[in-house]
Amino acid sequence: MEIKIMKNILDRNQNKADEVRNLLTSKKVVMVNIISSPGAGKTTLLERTLEEFNSKYRIGVIEGDIATDRDARRLHKFNIPIVVINTEGGCHLDSHSISKALDSFDLDNLDIIFVENVGNLICPSEFDLGETFKLAVVSTPEGDDKPGKYPLLFREAMAVLLNKTDLIPYTNFNLENFKRDLSGINAKVPLFEISCTNGDGLKEWFKWMSAKIS
Amino acid sequence: MHEIGIAEDLSKIVIDVAVERRLSKVTKVNISFGELVQIVPEIFEFAFREAVRDSVAQEALLDIEIVPVRMKCIECGTGFRVEDNNFKCTKCGSADLEIINGKELFIKSMEGE
Repeated sequence: MEIKIMKNILDRNQNKADEVRNLLTSKKVVMVNIISSPGAGKTTLLERTLEEFNSKYRIGVIEGDIATDRDARRLHKFNIPIVVINTEGGCHLDSHSISKALDSFDLDNLDIIFVENVGNLICPSEFDLGETFKLAVVSTPEGDDKPGKYPLLFREAMAVLLNKTDLIPYTNFNLENFKRDLSGINAKVPLFEISCTNGDGLKEWFKWMSAKIS
Repeated sequence: MHEIGIAEDLSKIVIDVAVERRLSKVTKVNISFGELVQIVPEIFEFAFREAVRDSVAQEALLDIEIVPVRMKCIECGTGFRVEDNNFKCTKCGSADLEIINGKELFIKSMEGE
């Protein structure tokens, strides 16, 4: 006997993500799902961004971490609400854990929630968290071939941040190749070439991000 | 690695339907995955096997169809298959596209007795 089902396997995640998105829209909170490889600089980007934004906006952070709270501890100095989700080895966050984390925030008094997803370029791209948009962060020592290898993330990201541009002279990273591949996958996505170490390019990123709020 | 979570969600759907339809055994599950989701069938198969262990679906075969990426141009309406990660309209070159296929994580049907 054949039984027709015709259903998205991730329905359970998707339904919860839709709920989260409706809730955030009604509370006028922008939630940014930050996706990158381990070590691309998500936490450092958050540090630089919080230094700039903390006095202007009301911000919360959700830290997805496989096993520790090390990233969260780096952000304690900003005195903002932070929720750590330990995935216990899991390679991505899902909408159910985000929904639970949101219970800990006072959404009426927040403008932005930054979600630092688990470091991984494939898995997090497929699990909708109910975010307002996804942000892809990639760093130059990883190589210039990342867009071509992980097209879904670069296709779906609202912006791409290329971090550690100060290290280009010490790597074989080819910026032209990177831009060509990225433009083939997503010709319209804004690219910010930044260095969280020396501050290059961060102003443009802050300006773009500010325009997404309010 | 995302294969594990997706296989677990699939196993829940399959076992729920089997219970609802009072099946004694699920023999086959027909699914389709879009090329963009980058599922490795061998890993998925392994993860699914673990997820259905000791259940009504423990012997179910998986039939995995991989769906190529297809887009539709918003400018000129042309539908086309994306090859070599070139997400531009093959007719007018526009990058204003909507996705038609390629992101599927879909269960089509299952068979049992």
